Amino acid sequence: MTRAPFFVPALLRFPASAARQDGWGRLIQITAGGVELSTAVHLEKDADVELQFELGGERLSLSGRVLHAERDDDGHCLAELRWTGMLERRRLARVLVDVLARAART
Amino acid sequence: MAAIGLLAAEIGDREALGLILDEMGHHTHGAGRLDEALEFARERKPRAFVLVDGGGADAESLTRELLRAFPLLPVVVALKVRDANRAVALMRVGAAEVVAPPWTPEDLKASVSKGLRYQGTILSPERVAPLRRSPLWYTLAVGLFLAAGLGVASLKRAEQNRVAAAARADRWELPVRHPAGLAFDGKSMWVVDWFTQSFYAMSTADTMISVVRHLTAETPVSLAFTGESMWTVSADGTVMRRMRDYKMTPLSSYPKAAPNSAGLAFDGLYLWTLDAKAKIIRKHLVDRELTEIAAYRWPGVKAAGLLFDGKLLWTLDAADRRLLGHRLERPDEIVVAVPLPEYSSGEFVATGVAWDGTRFWTVGEAKDGKSPARLVRHKEESR
Repeated sequence: MTRAPFFVPALLRFPASAARQDGWGRLIQITAGGVELSTAVHLEKDADVELQFELGGERLSLSGRVLHAERDDDGHCLAELRWTGMLERRRLARVLVDVLARAART
Repeated sequence: MAAIGLLAAEIGDREALGLILDEMGHHTHGAGRLDEALEFARERKPRAFVLVDGGGADAESLTRELLRAFPLLPVVVALKVRDANRAVALMRVGAAEVVAPPWTPEDLKASVSKGLRYQGTILSPERVAPLRRSPLWYTLAVGLFLAAGLGVASLKRAEQNRVAAAARADRWELPVRHPAGLAFDGKSMWVVDWFTQSFYAMSTADTMISVVRHLTAETPVSLAFTGESMWTVSADGTVMRRMRDYKMTPLSSYPKAAPNSAGLAFDGLYLWTLDAKAKIIRKHLVDRELTEIAAYRWPGVKAAGLLFDGKLLWTLDAADRRLLGHRLERPDEIVVAVPLPEYSSGEFVATGVAWDGTRFWTVGEAKDGKSPARLVRHKEESR
């Protein structure tokens, strides 16, 4: 487990049926299985969200489902998402291993 | 009390943000130009900086310049126009947080607090080693898989037959006669009937009614759904926010907030209402008073419905039998008009419209008022 010197920013997109505007947030923790996210946008359990972000120089777009969401002390939404798309999830796992390997070398 | 720097090209923005930051207990210093801001940062060593993006100032380059001189200084950017892509771009160049308009003390406080405790993303591959299992386990697993596969295949086939049968139909007679509104909650289509004071939720596959809710004390005319709530409007213009539970438990009431309602819609940030009599589209903040922050002239003839599809606001003009698309920034202008030939015979008058993520739906009341109402799913290419 490694901490980056910055929070990875992400664009939040919702399915057309949700009729919601795009939002943004910061990724607190990224793993190959899911993500923990802090955002001013309200998220609720079981909502589908597409996250677009850059990691290790690669642009990733992953779909996830909200497992848990709560208001933090600042009033932002702290949400835990599980990735639902297998293909992009594998790509993310590869990128994570690459980024962590590079971090270990330096 | 932390010193906070404030950089905004326009004096009005400096005053508005300065007031909020002062109320939060910070000592704020406003600057109109980058050199003033840098001088303040050198002299007073502020805990954070708040920049305004827009109004002649490019926060992307300002953030870069500030961070070049003070790399550890948290920079919070306040957008004048909501743009998610812009917000992400600003965070990529180093902004700790980005605040969307309208700037409220709650949002600003949350973002500045977050900025002051800025850390970094935790990265972890989280790999789980495969477990060793016995041959019996694999035999049972294969057997279970085959049985589940057969079950799923037969269920899928039955579902495909049902969907194919439903897809052939695009209009249905409803067991109501006086529909006043239509809304989609992400799963079901909801029809509001003012005469029976009821809400009916129905499947989008075959319009089978799954839920009926009856209000004894109100005459509902419009309905909209947000993430966790449902919003209803009564004939007297009272807007109600309700829980999405069995009893539709009221949470807040806003008397006369939406008079002569033809519809309401939520764009993720603001609640929009359409006044059929005054022909006005109103934009409301979702606050304690449902404050009206803007009103726009509606350019149609007879307003009957309102929705937001994720990109445009759409209104239903029952007289012209058209759907009118409007940009959120200029709802008084029509950017696209979609004719509704399903109503050309004049037997039905459209009274509500909804969007299911791919297609428009409308509900119409029979002209004679005695025949059953009709629900119409419009062609995909009609958008």
